[in-house]
Amino acid sequence: MGLVRLSIEGHQVQAPANCSILQAFLYAGETLVEGVGCMGQGVCGSCRVMVRHSGEQEVKTALGCETLVEAGMQVAFLDYFTVSSRHRYRLDEIGDSWQALRTLSEIFPEASHCRHCSGCDRACPKGLDVQRGVNLAVAGELAESSDVFDECVMCNLCTLACPEHIRPNHLGLFVRRMIASQSLRPANLMRRLQQIERGEMKIDFDAPGAQPPR
Amino acid sequence: MPAGIPFEDARKRYRPGAVPTVRSDDTSVDELLKGYHPDHGLNARVALSIGVNQGDPCQPDLARYLQANALIDDIDIAGAQVISTDVLIIGGGGGGCAAALIAAKQGAQVILATKLRLGDSNTVMAEGGIQAAVGEDDSPQLHFEDTLRAGHFCGEPELVAQMVMDGPDVIRWLIQLGVMFDLEEGRPMGGNLLRKKPGGASAARILSYRDYTGLEMMRVLREAVDLDPAVEVWNRCPAVELLSDERGRCAGAVIYNLESRTYVLVRARAVILATGGAGRLHLNAFPTSNHYGATADGLVLAYRIGAHLRELDSFQYHPTGIAYPAHLAGGLISEAARSAGAKLINGEGERFVDELKPRDVVASAILRECAQGRGIDRDGQTGVFLDTPTLEMENPGILAKRLVTLRHLARKCGHDAALEPFLVYPTLHYQNGGVAIDKDGATSVPGLFCVGEVTGGIHGRNRLMGNALLDILSMGRRAGAKAAESGAGAMAGRAGIGHVHAWQRQLTLAGLPLHVKAPQLFPGYAHFDLRVDAALRRGKWGGAGGGVR
Repeated sequence: MGLVRLSIEGHQVQAPANCSILQAFLYAGETLVEGVGCMGQGVCGSCRVMVRHSGEQEVKTALGCETLVEAGMQVAFLDYFTVSSRHRYRLDEIGDSWQALRTLSEIFPEASHCRHCSGCDRACPKGLDVQRGVNLAVAGELAESSDVFDECVMCNLCTLACPEHIRPNHLGLFVRRMIASQSLRPANLMRRLQQIERGEMKIDFDAPGAQPPR
Repeated sequence: MPAGIPFEDARKRYRPGAVPTVRSDDTSVDELLKGYHPDHGLNARVALSIGVNQGDPCQPDLARYLQANALIDDIDIAGAQVISTDVLIIGGGGGGCAAALIAAKQGAQVILATKLRLGDSNTVMAEGGIQAAVGEDDSPQLHFEDTLRAGHFCGEPELVAQMVMDGPDVIRWLIQLGVMFDLEEGRPMGGNLLRKKPGGASAARILSYRDYTGLEMMRVLREAVDLDPAVEVWNRCPAVELLSDERGRCAGAVIYNLESRTYVLVRARAVILATGGAGRLHLNAFPTSNHYGATADGLVLAYRIGAHLRELDSFQYHPTGIAYPAHLAGGLISEAARSAGAKLINGEGERFVDELKPRDVVASAILRECAQGRGIDRDGQTGVFLDTPTLEMENPGILAKRLVTLRHLARKCGHDAALEPFLVYPTLHYQNGGVAIDKDGATSVPGLFCVGEVTGGIHGRNRLMGNALLDILSMGRRAGAKAAESGAGAMAGRAGIGHVHAWQRQLTLAGLPLHVKAPQLFPGYAHFDLRVDAALRRGKWGGAGGGVR
């Protein structure tokens, strides 16, 4: 299999053609102990990179575990964020859901300042319509906003990109959490909880099905 | 392994939508497991020669790590900063987060130290779902019996009973935190939770959020922990050793800060290990579905300080790891696919096992097909087909709606899941055994609690799909509560590494090498050496950040 040459963090490395950026970095013998997590599934959002493809001007953001290497590619890792004191809330203290819009604007006051620059959309490695999700939330279309962030992996790239400090992914997660905690009341779960609380669901340790076959 | 059937021939034989013949087979489950499962066979186990489990069987690769010397000695921690807290939690997956939230709620000051970043864990990668017996045709009793049976009756009935009874309340707690679940008809109020049937279970009991339940759960848990003022999160801070007092109690841990390249001694009234499993040690040279940090750190540290372990020779190989292409090998294809009806097909175009049998049985059947030359060879990789095209034909739209991750995965593999089958081979997925615990997660070492995959005793010798997520939350909450409660006692007078010195004497007496060190912290291919790294602190690369060290 052919090797391709690329640059990662300014180091010239060679790696097999169909491997990911993270695999190429390891293949080159580099030490990798941060900015890595699920290593290929693309769900942890840790391995954020900036990528410039050969012959292109634009620098794009992506996940290093999901992006395959190409000849002449330039890659730089993007550090994750430390905890921010912005947008603190306690979900169990959000009372009246009729006040959802007010609550949202109190916790995320910048959300209504969106200047429609689409920076978040371009930054998203999952191709989500982040900006639309923000605008929908501000307009109170919470279910639709929540759908936009359905596949968000919380990589924080939109937060990094937003010039208004909206922190779109955290806003999206807030909307999703509010919906679930305030409206999800499944009948079968409530019935079973009631049965357990009434003591109707005891475990029989001596039941035939709990004994090893003889 | 004998040569299998070339991919091109097998692909020609395979017909989407056709009903494949089923290979007749009269091997008993016992014979199948004994013949083909990696837990069995001549080289499957060795006896441990030191520690509280001396004489007990252990997987040989793991035994080397358990019987290794500590990474640090007194000289490394002399002069290190000392910090005190009520509860120290090591590990930032679902179990660690659940423990942190509950301990904090009870008024404890909590430090959560994690090797990678909060949330980087196997939890976030869990796809299929979480078990909780909520159906009319289901009960905690059935869940209890299914769990014991799947574990070959090696689990502790008391622990299993507690977990299954916790199930529905764990789901309510998750919803209160803001986790979504799939509903039968999408009516949030008064609708029913959608239930799916896991392999090896007697009723539909898997609750899910699409096929990324773990992501939905983890992003909520991480946010909740991050927003909790009583929990201090230390990212990039692996534990390299535990601290003990003069009575052998666990008194805290030695944490290495990867950013500052310094050691910190954290003294705590209670320590909770929620460090996960061992997949990245690639036991028996298998590929793994585990995240990058799964290197058995907690297991090694707990054993060295004297905690009793169990079922160290039992691991779960998930039947459907990706076999082709090679660069994705080991990655997981969720059981959700088989749960929804996808079949397995060998190189001769036959089905060869009931796909919804427990994971150890299905994995063994795939290994048997490959060992007997009915596997499918493609560019040096061997496996069998997972028939997603027929699944889509029988359930139009299922890939787009319910198996989103599967469809993405196929694209990464370079094919369309609706048109081409996956090539799959078992992948190292789960550590069935681990540290022995009681119903509060307490170990045989006072002051030391363990939660989740690092523990043993719930799943016996084989775990059901969806029971891992339930385990971590049920036990995480309980250990968090108990640890916070036990924090009322006085802080140990001395905290040091006396147990390490005792361990070194045992190693010497047993003739074991002192230069083999553990925990490994990162996979071998991470090119990380703790001593080298710590020595770089004042070197010219001292300021290096980001992804490059």
